[in-house]
This record gives sequence, C-alpha cells and structure tokens, in this order.
Amino acid sequence: MADPILVVIFLRGGADALNIVSPTADPDYIAARPDALRVLRQGTDQGIILGDGMLSPGMADVDFRFNPVARDLGDLFHAGDLSIIHATGLREATRSHFDAEARIERAAVDSAAGGWLSRWIRHAQPGGPLPALAVGTGMPESLRGSRAAVAPELSELMLAAGNWMAPALRARLQAGFGDHGQLGATTRDILALSQMLQDRLWQADTGDLRAYVPDVDYPSTSDLSGPLMTVAQTIKMDIGLRIATVDYGGWDTHAHQADTFPFLLGELSRTLMAFWRDLGPRQQDVSVVVQSEFGRRLRSNDSGGTDHGRAGAMLVLGPQAQGGRLLGRWPGLSNSALEEGADLAVTTDYRDVLAEIMVRHMGLSDPTIVFPGLTPQPLGLFG
Amino acid sequence: MLNRREFLISALLATALRPLPALANPIATDPAEVLLNRLTFGANAESRAALAGMGAQAWLDDQLTRPAHDPDIDGRLAAFRLRISYEAEDEGNGFAWGALDEMRALTALNADPGTLLPLLDWEKPMSYAERARPADEVIAASLTRAVHAPAQLREVITQFWHDHFNVHAQKDEFVAVFFPSYDATLRENALGNFRTLLGAVAKSPSMLIYLNNAESSASPANENFGRELLELHTLGAGNYLNEHYDRWSEVPGALDGLALGYIDEDVYEVARAFTGWTVGDGRWIAEGQNTPMTGRFAYVEGWHDPYQKRVLGVEMEPNRAPMADAEQVMDILAKHPGTAKFICTKLARRLVTDQPSPEFIDRLATLFLQTADAADQIAQLIRAIVADPEFANPPGKIRRPFEFLAAIYRASGVKVASTEMDFHWQLARAGWQQHTFPPPTGHPDTLDAWNTSTLILRYVDYALAAHDDWFGSTTSRLSGKVPDEVQTLGKLMRFWSAELHGTAADASPEFFAAMEINPDDALPPDETERHDYSTVAIALAALSPQFIYR
Repeated sequence: MADPILVVIFLRGGADALNIVSPTADPDYIAARPDALRVLRQGTDQGIILGDGMLSPGMADVDFRFNPVARDLGDLFHAGDLSIIHATGLREATRSHFDAEARIERAAVDSAAGGWLSRWIRHAQPGGPLPALAVGTGMPESLRGSRAAVAPELSELMLAAGNWMAPALRARLQAGFGDHGQLGATTRDILALSQMLQDRLWQADTGDLRAYVPDVDYPSTSDLSGPLMTVAQTIKMDIGLRIATVDYGGWDTHAHQADTFPFLLGELSRTLMAFWRDLGPRQQDVSVVVQSEFGRRLRSNDSGGTDHGRAGAMLVLGPQAQGGRLLGRWPGLSNSALEEGADLAVTTDYRDVLAEIMVRHMGLSDPTIVFPGLTPQPLGLFG
Repeated sequence: MLNRREFLISALLATALRPLPALANPIATDPAEVLLNRLTFGANAESRAALAGMGAQAWLDDQLTRPAHDPDIDGRLAAFRLRISYEAEDEGNGFAWGALDEMRALTALNADPGTLLPLLDWEKPMSYAERARPADEVIAASLTRAVHAPAQLREVITQFWHDHFNVHAQKDEFVAVFFPSYDATLRENALGNFRTLLGAVAKSPSMLIYLNNAESSASPANENFGRELLELHTLGAGNYLNEHYDRWSEVPGALDGLALGYIDEDVYEVARAFTGWTVGDGRWIAEGQNTPMTGRFAYVEGWHDPYQKRVLGVEMEPNRAPMADAEQVMDILAKHPGTAKFICTKLARRLVTDQPSPEFIDRLATLFLQTADAADQIAQLIRAIVADPEFANPPGKIRRPFEFLAAIYRASGVKVASTEMDFHWQLARAGWQQHTFPPPTGHPDTLDAWNTSTLILRYVDYALAAHDDWFGSTTSRLSGKVPDEVQTLGKLMRFWSAELHGTAADASPEFFAAMEINPDDALPPDETERHDYSTVAIALAALSPQFIYR
C-alpha cells in the first residue's frame, strides 16, 4: 500500500442529515415534517433499508433508511465500504455558518493554530511535489496556515502554459517577488509546482494539455464531478498527494427544500460512486470523509424549508474502515431529547470521527497533535 | 534570424539566469499614490493630476460630494452594447423560442423595476438568458464603472457594500431581475447614513428573495434573513454570544436595556419581526389576493407574527402598527455599539489595513455612534479614516482580482466597455465572483484569504489577457496610448512602469542591462508588435509588489 490519502468533502450550507439517513418510523420525525422533507417507509419513493448495519437497538426500532435518491450510497454501504456516523457535530452550540465552519475546520481554541489539516501537514511533513490540494478557488479554513496548492483543476496550476511571454513573467515573479511579504512563499511554491506539472502534462507537439481520461463516466450534471476527477487524476499521477479538500455547496435549504435537496443528494451519491470506481486499485490508499457545518431544524418552516439546526451526519468511505454500519448514539427526537427543544442533539464529537481516521488510516500516533485538548473516544470505525 | 518576438523572449529568458538587484522596500509610499490607491480603483494619470492640482483635502471633498449619477458614466453606459445569445428551444406545448445572438444596450440598468416584471411571467416562453439579463447588465457595467467613474470613491464604497450586504445576483431569476435596483440602492446610499442604507437593503426585493424573507410568514418564520442581519449586516459574528443560548437575561447588558451581543433567541425574534416583509411581484398571498405588481417592497399584514417580542433585551408590545417591529429592530441595531465596531472595522480594513488597531476602531466607532443620525454618516467616517494617524500605515492590502484588473485598465488608460461576460468568468477562476458570490458573507478582504497559488497564476493570466481582443473588455490598442516621444524599448518600459506605479521605476535601466538588449532599440514599426511590447511592459509592471499591494 502506498502512502495513505485523505479526501475531505465539505457540504457547505448545513446539510439536512435528517433527510439523508432518516429514522423513518419515528413518530416525532413524521409529525415534524411534510412527506416531501422526509424519507418514507412505504410507496415507490421509500427509503433504502440499512438492514443489519444498525448496531444499536434504538436505531433499528426507528428503521433508519437512506434517502431513495442516494442509491449509490446505499450500495457502498451494503458493500461494506461506507460507514455512517449520525448525530455528530460541534460540542458548542452554534447555528451560524461562519462560526460553525470556522470552529469545525480550525478545531482548536487558538485561531493562530491554523486549520486541523494544516496541523497534520506540519507534523507529518509529507514529501513530494503536491502533498495537499484544495480543489476550488479559495483556501478552506481546514488548510489555513499550510501552503496547500489551491486550484479548481491541475491545468490552473500552470503558469500561462503555452504563452510566449510566460518565461519572462516567470523570471519577473522570481526576481521581483520572491522575497516580498506573505505572497513570496506562495509564489516560490507555485513556480516549482507549475514547472513539474508542465513537464508532466504539457504536450509540446500539440501545444495543448494532456486531458485526464477517467476510467468511468462521471455524472455530467454534477458540480462535484470536475473536482473529484481532479482528485482522482492527482492520485493516479503519483505526485505525493496526501490531503485533498473539496467543497460542495448549496445545502442551505431555508425554502422549497424539496426542489433542490434531492438533486444535490443524488449528485453527491452518484459522483462519489463514480470517483470510487475511477480510483480502482487505488481505493486501497484512500479514505473519504463527508461532513457539513451542522444539520437542520427538525421541524420545517412555513416556506417549505428547514432552518439551521445542530447535529448532522458524517460519512466515511474507505476499505480500511469497517463499513456497512450506522455508528454513533441516537439521542431520539422527542421534545426532551432535542437540543434546546428544537434540534437533533450532538452525541458524537465530530473530532472523534476525524481523529480515528487520522490515527488508523493516516498513521498519526497522537491525535492531540491535530486536535489539541481532545480526549479521543474512537467509535470503532476501523473495527 | 530571430523575429522581434523571439528575440524579446530570449532576452527575457536571460534575465532569469542572472540575479536582479535586491529591492529593499519596493512598495511606493508616496502619500498621494497611497491615497489614490486606497480611495479609488487605482491611481492613473488623470487622478494623479487632479490630486496634485486640487490638494488632498479638496480632492476628498470633491469625491465625497459627487452624486450617484454622473453624465460621464451614464453616457458611457448608454453607449454600451453587451452581447446576449442563446439557442433555440422547443419543448412542445407551445413553450418555444428562437435562437438569438445580438449586441444589446443595457436596457434594464435604469429601468423602473415594475417594468421588468414581464421577465418573471412564467406563462411567457423565454430563455433564462433573457430573464437573468438584468443581472448580467449590472455585472458588465461594474467593470466600466470601476475603471471610468469620476466618482471613484463612491464606486469603491459601493463595491464595499455589495460585499457587506452580499447578494448572489444569479441565485434565481427573481434576484436577477431586481438586481439593477439593488445596485442603484447601494450606490445611492453608499456615502450616506447607515440606518437609511440598512432599511433600504432590508426592503430591496433582491435581498428579500436572496435570503428568503420574501416568503417568511408566521409561523414558523424563515430565519435566514434575520440571522444574517445580525451576523453579517450589523453586529457581526464576534457579538454572537450563544453560550447563553436560552438564557437571554444572562447576556451582558440585557437587564440594563440593551444586550451587548445576540443569541439564537434573538435570531428567532428578529425573524418574527420581519414576517410579512416581501416583494410586490404579484405573488400569491391568499385566495384572491396577490401583492401589487410594483417590483418593489411590499408588506403583507396577514403574514406578520404580531405578538410581543424581545430583541437584545428590548421588549416590544404585541399588535403594533404595520412594520413597526422590524423598523425598531433596525433602529436598535443601527445604534448598537457592536454594530459601530463591526462596520468600522470592516471599513478600516477595506480602506487601510488588514489589521486596524483597536484604538483606531474605537475612534471610528465613537464617531459612528455620534453621527448615527447624520445624513452623511458614512462620508464622515471616511474623512476620519483618511485623517487618522493609522492612514500612514504602509501599503499592505492585496489588490483582489476585480481590483487588480480594474487597476490595470485605469493605468493603461484604455476604454473599457465589455461586449462579452468573459472578464466575469475569468475573475471567477481566481475566486472573485462579481455580484454572484453564493454565500452571504461576500468576498473576503484579507491577504490571508487570497494568498493562494491560483491567485498568482491568474494574475499572470489577467495581465497578459486584459488587452487582448478575445477578452472582450476593450478594443483600444495600447500602442495608441504611448506618446510619440516614446520611441525606444527603454522609454516604453519606463513609460508603462510610470503609468502603473506613479514613478518611472529606477530599476528599469538595470532591468534592461540584465536583459542584454539595448534600451535605445527603436520600437518596431508594426502596430501589433508595438501593442505586444506594451502588453509585456504592463505585465512586468503589474506583476510586482508595487502593484499587487496597495
């Protein structure tokens, strides 16, 4: 097995976990929402049964099921590759996107400590030309303080490839910029990375880039396809990738949730499956974690949506983990069980999920290096 | 034999092999240049001359008193033609339209919003490009305004409010159709009174739809707008004291008449206060009832939650006059010390430095509260920022992608009128989504957030492409901007570095020496080659700390 790789997919906006993996038989759940915002037990649109993947009797009693649009997630679950951890989130109550994302991605009281993935990079010092890639146009908080490359696709990491003026501008950046301010280090890194990628991907004969040809088709309608193809391509290029982050937005469903949510979840499910198949034998090296800043309110609002809630669900995909199980402690949805009478309560600290992955998959010896102050309580994701 | 282009490139390659002289402090600190780069979209020959002629005080007075409408920029926008094109469509059942590809004037930009409502008529077959056209017009116009508006400071602050009160103009057709009036509202109030601006934003159809308040009715209310009003528009996330979630009386100040921060219960109450605030676009209210077809704010009493509320410790009686609850919420917020600090921090960060000192913010926040009822509250704050000792901070702000591109155009002096939306897509590659940033936080404003590999490479792309025909933002030839007396490569390099940096860089002769080409070489006669040389010169000057920082 090559060096282990972690892919973090962040569902921006607060994904409605109660509509992804749902306690379909819970009367409080049924009472709180119209059919369109629930997973159903009967009919043509009934949810995907999890079967004996539910370890706790409390979970089996309420018949947890996947939303029917997440058929591929169901398949990955039943194949033993995917685990679900429900009722996870931040210990501290916050219903602000900004605040919750910052807390989750920094995972430290001291904001100068940077992001949690940066702390791993600083500790593990992975070699190779491209150890960390944030797919997108901005550095996520989790990588803040690192020198991760940021780009929506690899071709965007090449300095004016094919342009006759590029060498001149490279010289300009090297000479006049190299030592100046915070941009200096970034500039030096990218000049080196750009050269390496150009050597690998540029075809002088055609004057064009070598396009990535995936081993399977990705859904053409999915915003997640391009980013996950970039991750798969980078993994297969063997240029030292250890950490990749991908943002997938649109989950802030305050209104008309039934119009958008099934599409988003369906695309997540289909694209994740395409990515997984595309990896082929490289699956052995990869863990994928899917998370969001919070779940949504149990009770829907008067505009067919759900407002900001508390606990959500996390998904972990990877052959090293013991998948096919719904983990975590289900607190229930009765009024007294809800956090502040409104939201699914957090029973599993999200850091416990990430810490277990960092130790068991990424080989980190001491999880408090990445999550200072955590007393780890492993869920048994890895058996 | 090398042609001109190959010769130049081989010469430039040579520079990569020899060290250039180290530049100790390469960023210009000339006060005039710093002032212009902070308060405009970039110093250029015209603004340098104006500032030198008038003096800083008169220049600032002039900028702060220029009106939102200006014959120069209105004339440019009236002459503007932006492409609209789409494919033919036929879904059967009569839902069909023909293909179109035409250059069209910006007809929605100054239209009464009520006249744009036919774009939201779902009975009428129409492509998305037609329905969303008003938003495209604002986006395309924004670059021309940034480059050419004589009221530069008003444009800078208008962009600031666009980020502060962020709206994703292409979220859906409704937001898009009402976006020109939203843009006009921000520009009109940019330098005025914060409470007035806050109220105008809260009543803007684009904002009401973007943050879902347009469909918020009792009960439960939709909390989206209420939360962002507190977190992003007024008090800021720093005043979210949610460790007191359901114990409002424990929030400091709450029992003395005004809580110093907010908790989730305040969010719920504010959301209730704004129930019934919606849009006059004919939307359904109840059987036989619709909102009026005005394209403006509408209030629906039947949707309002009329009962008593408590916001930040302030009690509100039940069953008050229409809109009184929400208006009072905004009164409280606009005069709250937390809002004063939050807004002043963001303004100081925008105009001066990523890290304004607490003392600087205290001085500004005191003025914010003192001038809370003044019609020119925001203008007074800007005067105070310019007069503050911290304005002497050295330049350290990164030019963000939109500002980098606008500053290049201002310095190059070309006429910018984008016939295509390409510049918009190009800026998005670096994370700048002009008027289409999806989350309500708006674009970040610190170097930390922009210091990425992709940004630097895109700046290379912009510097190279800005004056290219395919970019579609200008048809001016750079060769036409070069004065007749500039007859050599050396003078050309010096000319453009002076246009971009304010002074002809002393490094220029050394740069040429390192290139082993003669600065006395004559410019080539071919017009295209001369344009290309100017592109190189501008790119070299733009990709420097002097230009990337402001």
